[in-house]
This record gives sequence, C-alpha cells and structure tokens, in this order.
Amino acid sequence: MDCIKKKVNEELQRGWIGSDLACNYHPCHFTGQDCTFCYCPFYPCHDTDLGEMLVGRRGNEVWSCSDCLFIHRTEVCQFIISEVGRLGVTEAGDPRFMDIFAEAKKRFWHEGSALMVVGATSDAGKSITVAALCRILHRRGYIVAPFKSQNMSLNAKATRMGTEIAMAQTVQAKAAGLKTPDSHMNPILLKPKGDTVSQVVVCGKPYADYDVESYYGEFVPGPGRSIVRENIAFLKRHYDFVLMEGAGSPAEINIYDVDIANMGAAREADADVILVVNVEWGGAFAYALGTIELIPEEDRRRIKGVVFNNVRGDTERFRTGIPEFERLCGVPVIGVIPHGDFVLPSEDSEALRSVATMGHGRCRIAAVRYPRIANFTDLDPLFLEDVTVVFAERPEDLDGADAIVLPGTKNTVQDLLWMESAGIADKVRSLRGKVPIVGICGGYQMMGRELRDPEGIEGGVSRTLPGLGLFDMTTTFGDYSKRVVNSEGRMLVGDGGDITGYELHMGMSEVREEPLFEITNNFDRDRVTDGAVRENEMLYGTYLHGIFDRKPFRTHFLSRITHGGERYDASDSRDYDDILEENLERLADVFESNLDMDAVMRMLGVGE
Amino acid sequence: MRILVLGTSSDAGKTVIGAMICRHMARRGLDPVPFKAFNLSLNSYATKDGGEIGMGQTFQAWACGLEPETDMNPVLYKPSGGGRMQMIVGGRPLMDIGNGVEPDREAAVRGIREAYGRLSSAHGCVVCEGSGSPAELNLMSSDLANTGLMRLLGVPAVLVADIERGGAFAAIYGTWRIIPEDVRPLLKGFVINRFRGDASILGDGIRRIEELTGMRCLGVIPYLPLRFPEEDSLSRSEGRLQGEDVRQAFLSNLDELLDAAEAGGFDFRLLEDITDEGQSRRTTTRLTTDE
Repeated sequence: MDCIKKKVNEELQRGWIGSDLACNYHPCHFTGQDCTFCYCPFYPCHDTDLGEMLVGRRGNEVWSCSDCLFIHRTEVCQFIISEVGRLGVTEAGDPRFMDIFAEAKKRFWHEGSALMVVGATSDAGKSITVAALCRILHRRGYIVAPFKSQNMSLNAKATRMGTEIAMAQTVQAKAAGLKTPDSHMNPILLKPKGDTVSQVVVCGKPYADYDVESYYGEFVPGPGRSIVRENIAFLKRHYDFVLMEGAGSPAEINIYDVDIANMGAAREADADVILVVNVEWGGAFAYALGTIELIPEEDRRRIKGVVFNNVRGDTERFRTGIPEFERLCGVPVIGVIPHGDFVLPSEDSEALRSVATMGHGRCRIAAVRYPRIANFTDLDPLFLEDVTVVFAERPEDLDGADAIVLPGTKNTVQDLLWMESAGIADKVRSLRGKVPIVGICGGYQMMGRELRDPEGIEGGVSRTLPGLGLFDMTTTFGDYSKRVVNSEGRMLVGDGGDITGYELHMGMSEVREEPLFEITNNFDRDRVTDGAVRENEMLYGTYLHGIFDRKPFRTHFLSRITHGGERYDASDSRDYDDILEENLERLADVFESNLDMDAVMRMLGVGE
Repeated sequence: MRILVLGTSSDAGKTVIGAMICRHMARRGLDPVPFKAFNLSLNSYATKDGGEIGMGQTFQAWACGLEPETDMNPVLYKPSGGGRMQMIVGGRPLMDIGNGVEPDREAAVRGIREAYGRLSSAHGCVVCEGSGSPAELNLMSSDLANTGLMRLLGVPAVLVADIERGGAFAAIYGTWRIIPEDVRPLLKGFVINRFRGDASILGDGIRRIEELTGMRCLGVIPYLPLRFPEEDSLSRSEGRLQGEDVRQAFLSNLDELLDAAEAGGFDFRLLEDITDEGQSRRTTTRLTTDE
C-alpha cells in the first residue's frame, strides 16, 4: 500500500501528462487513454460501478478495478489535477480525495448506451458494420465496446486473461482501439462439435454441451438470458457505448420466443437497432421489409434505420427504390454502402465452405481442410502473400503443392482418422522433406508419432493411434480440460525474430525434438518453449495459433519454399496487424461517408 | 398447365426447383417444357436450331426429356464487359445495351409472347422460371421475367427461398408484400430450399406465413450435397457429380433430389392444382374472348 502511495504522490507532483507514449506498456487499455494516474488516487474506491470485491489467493478480500477505464479518461484526470491544486492536496490518502471522487463521478460517469446491428441474413455485413462504427466512434473520442451475446464460430481467440472469444469481436475491439478484449464482449460462444451438438462456452470458459433442443429448451430460458443481461450491464458501466451484433436473422419467427441473440438482447440492453441487408444476392428490399414486419410490434419500434450493404456498381440506380421502400415500411434508410474489398479475418466456416482456393499468388500452399477444421483465420495472412492457398480434401489436391499447412481442428483424433481414410495422411508422409510442412495446434498434434486418447475424450472410445510420424512426439488427451493462453516470444530458428500467438487446445504433448519457439505467457509471465522443428526436413509444428500474423515466422516458413526452381521472396511481407489496422481505417472511411452518422448518434442518445 | 417459379434472391434455387418440377411433370406424363422469359447469364448453350439459351433452361429441358430450343429462353442478356451487354432475342443478337443504351422493350415483350405461345400450344405444361428477385423496387417497372410475366400472361407463381443463409421467412413475407397488388393474388405458394436438420422446427413459422399471406407451403427441400449446372457466377459449385456423361450425371442428381422431396412430403398434388389453376384461368379467358 505504501508503495502505491509513493507512486500516487509522484503522480500528483508531476501533474497532468495525457497519454504516456514512452511507456513500454502503452496503451495498456485503449489507444488515446490518459496515463496521468497509472496508480489510482481513489484506490480502493469501493464503488461497484467501477470495480468489484474479489476473494484473493489467501481467502482475503481484494478490491479489483482492473476493468475500470474511468481513471484513464482525460477529462477525469484533468479534473482531479485541477481540484488537487485548488484544494492544496499533496498526499495520497488525503480524505478530500473522497470528495473529489464523488464530484468526478457525478460529472463524468454515466451509464453507457447500447446500439444493436442485426442482419437480414447471415453474412449480411453485421460484423463489419459494428467494426466500422467502433472505429468511427473511437476516432471521435468515445470509449466503445463491441458485444455479441451468442456466437457460433470455429474461429476463437484467446484473450490476455486466458479466456476465449470469437475472432469477430476481437477485430471489433481492435477497431475500437481496445487492447484487452475480454469475454464480457462475447459471453456465449457455441462451438459446433458435430451435426447437432455444440460446446457452449460461457464467459470464455467451457460450460457444457447442448443439442439444439436442450440449448433453447434449458440453457436460454435458464442461465442464458441473465448471462446476456449481466454482461451488457457490465459493459455499460465501463464504456460510453456498447455496439451489439446480432446473430443470423432476427425474424426467425419459429424460434422468436427463445431468442437471446437478436431482438431479445436488444430488449435486455434497451438498445435501438439498425438492420443491415446484403444487396449482393438480390431481394434486399424484400428481406428488409419482411424482417421488419415479422418482428412483433413491441420490438419493431426499436428498429430505427436500415443499411443496404455491399452495393456493386451504381448506387444511384439502387437508390431509386428507396422512397417506395421507406413508404412501405416506415423505417428510414440510413446508409447505402458500396461494395469494398477489405482484408479482415474470415468470420466463419460458411465463408470458406464453398471455396476451393484463396489468393492469386504464384506459390501453391495446400491447407488440409478436415471436416472439423478450426481457427482457419490462421491462414488469413497467407492470402496477402504471393500465394494461392488450396483447400485440400483429396490426396490429388496436394499434387504440385509448394508447401503444406495442417491447420487446427476441433477434434484431432476424428480428423486424423479422416486424413487416413481419405489417403491424405499417406500423401503428406510421402512429401516429407520434399516441401515445407507446418502443423498448427491439432495439425501439430497429428504430426507426432502417436496420439493417445485413453478416456475416449476425442473419439468416444479409448484408443491409441499412430500419427503422421513426422516428429518424435506423443500427445495424450488426458482429461476434459483445455489450455487457453495468449503468448509472445521469439523464434529459435532463422533470425530469432519476435512472434505472438495463442493456444486453445485439449491434450498435452511430450516432444523429443528441437523446440521451435521460446514463449512467455501473457497472463502469468511463465517462460517456456513451444513446438518442434527439423530444419533439414523443413518440418515445423506449433501449438500457437495466429503464428503467421507477425512477419518473422511467416517469412521464415515461406523462404523455405521453392517454386519453379526459385526461392520464395518474402522481402515485401508485412505484419498482419498493420494491414488490419489500415483496413479498419479504410472501412471506417467508407461507412462514415455513406452512413447517416447523425442518425446513429441520435440512436446512441447523443443530441446534436 | 403452367407455373412460374420465383426466387426471393438470386441463387435461391429457382433453376433446380424448376427442373425438379419439370422432372415430376415428365414422370407423370404431363409433357412439361421449361421457359425463362429473361435471363442474364454468361453461361449459354448452343441449341440445335442454331441459337443460344441459358444453361438453366438447357438443364430443365433435359429434365423434361426435351432438346433445348431457343423458345425456352427468348430474351438473353450476356455481359460483355465495361457495363455493356449483348441483348439476344429469339436466339439471335439484337443489339448492344448498357452505358446509357436502353434495351428495346417492345422487341423483348414480343419475343417473350411469341415464344411462350409456341411452347404452350406444343406442350402440356409450361414451367416458367423468374429472374433474380421479383421484389426489386428499383427494377420493378422494367421487369420482364417476374411480375412482368405474371401481368403479361397471368401465370400462377410459387416462391422459392434459400434458408441456408437465414431470414427465409422474412424473405418470403417481404417479397409477397412488395409484389404489386394487381399480380399478388397469383402468388399461390412457397418452397423453403436447402434446409439442414429436422424440418419440424419450422412448423410454427410456416403456419404463420401461410396465415399472413394466404400462400401455401409446398414443402421444405433438404440440403443435399449435389451439383447442378451453374446458371451464373453467383452460384455455388459444390457437391457431388458422378459419371462420364454430364447430362446423365446431372439428371441422376435431379432424380435423387426429387426422391428426397417426395420422401420429405413435398406437396406435389398442391403443385399440380396450382399448375392446373393456370390452365383453368386461361381457359376462362379464352371462353370470355370467344363470347
């Protein structure tokens, strides 16, 4: 406590500093944060709008305010400094801080408001609309949180706190300038396990498995609705705005009563709603009108605007239908967004289901598309290289491949069995040493000598099966536990460059190979090694997802590729994060110039 | 007999459902023939009479056991790049349109009327296919293949909605709402296409749409991993296609789809009633004219 007092005293002496760009940890919360009070002069404020009491490791109570952003608002910091000067406060712990706190909270704290974006269909453009709004509002100086109550996606990402949330919300949080997206933004995550059963992840932790009937029959009316309500309330306490994303269509009238992803969530958040419709497939006016009119009256009044998205060619011609549309439905059209090509992570398997290849580069990288492929956003940075990624489902698809990627899977054992029966496993074995091969997570586990599943966690029956035998490694699926960590570190090969990544997996591997990376876990700061490498055979394996995002490993791997007798030239490669940042800016620009932002601000309760 | 298959979006499955109806009618010996008044497509097929028609009607003709002919697709626009399109009427290039040049609508209507007349007098049942969505408010006034055809010839219609992307109920209801009131009574039924899972979950929604619109649900077509000819670039080419003769391979996939629809309780009886209604309506018109 004395140590904190000393720090606060230093801060009081120093005065207002704004953002501390020189700090190694900057920005620890959000871009543009005020760093005057890295240590809070109000601690512990015991105000439950800003923090909560936790039970510490030794059973003692600890006031936690790690989610509090209030003290990082410039207006708050400037107010405190001016009050401290006015009152002549010089020491931390001065009782007058309680008065300053009370006044600051009265002036600057208010519960945030929520706005929801629903789509007439899947792939309507909800995610990018929310991402664009997050960036636009962030640029205007607001602190914004993305939210999606229920997400079905195989692309999840580990947060710094060791929980997992969907990739879409991670990107939206980045758009909002947030550095630490967390599971409040995506409290319910459904991860399909088979045809009808999904693993339900609540607040970032595996909760239970449900089929469709039990999910809607038990989970939603039981814990589901209150989980949504509590998390929205949490975000409203900490952020100016909560930008919510719906799931699928809000007008599925056969399951309307059990909805917590669309209008049900809007009701919990008391949010106004924007409907986004993808124009590309045709029928957009009908989809929009039908969606609005099928929603019951008491919820329909929340819908305050329609956005027609992805209009190719001449938007003027499309606009000629708008007056009649507005007359029929009574909701104004607040945006017509032209088609644009943006580099953003793949949202879900729907987007990849129907494509055979991605990218148009010269090199051919075969990524095996198992039936349960997961976290294939790992591949996204490759699409920006001089590479064509071929999704291989048959042994022939690997013919002519310059390199092979074995991506992650929701079920290593089942997908390895599929690889064997499809003849792909033998094909991969035959290409050993001829082309570079990298396995990520489940794909890495497959590269080992043996996979043991004594409890039948992966396969339903107890068994041990041979892997691809590319590494001397044994993986055991010991219990139903999952490792979720977010790490950074460096390569132990090549130029030893920096890497970042995250682990999301069941099973532990015993590896008797040279390690590929040295990594530090972002949560407990443990330093360990990861992965396996045989440089002479061009074999690489790692548990880290997102490993191609940063340049060093991507260029190292690509530089091992020989295409048409020539080595791959990776000198133009860039970090995926920088490219993403540029694309978010461009996306926000496109939306800002084609969307009635005044209408949006009114929905958020900001008067003109 | 006649029927028009409309879709709530591009790629809703009009062509395949149309082909399935053709196949059913052919099995029942009702002598069907496919017809699509207007087609915007890059994939065309050269007919034996020296013209060209869209791939979709070619496939539907095969489903009927017929050779494709230009009358099945009287007006065809082929994109030729740079916003320009070639307008083909009756299998022959008529003019280049786009970039400010408007199509010759009168020639198109004449082409459609004549081709339809020849097909309906030579065959027992004309299975028409719409184009895109019939509810494009910005294109409604120039429509030829959807509400345009309904108004021109009084053909009863069914609406196909793709449920794979979600929002199918909204799409059906919204399309019905937007279709102008003078032709709306011709919308008799709807089909939900590409459904995965247990269709009983849709029951309440289907009943609600039936109540709201007066249309009847003909059935729910399950998603099957089958490949069919691609009408245009928006189609998804996935699924199985086996055999050396492409035509036979497509037809065997179509038979599989038809069998699945029958097994899933698709109401072919209702379909025939709707098709017949088109017949009686036309008969009535003719009698009136005769008097």
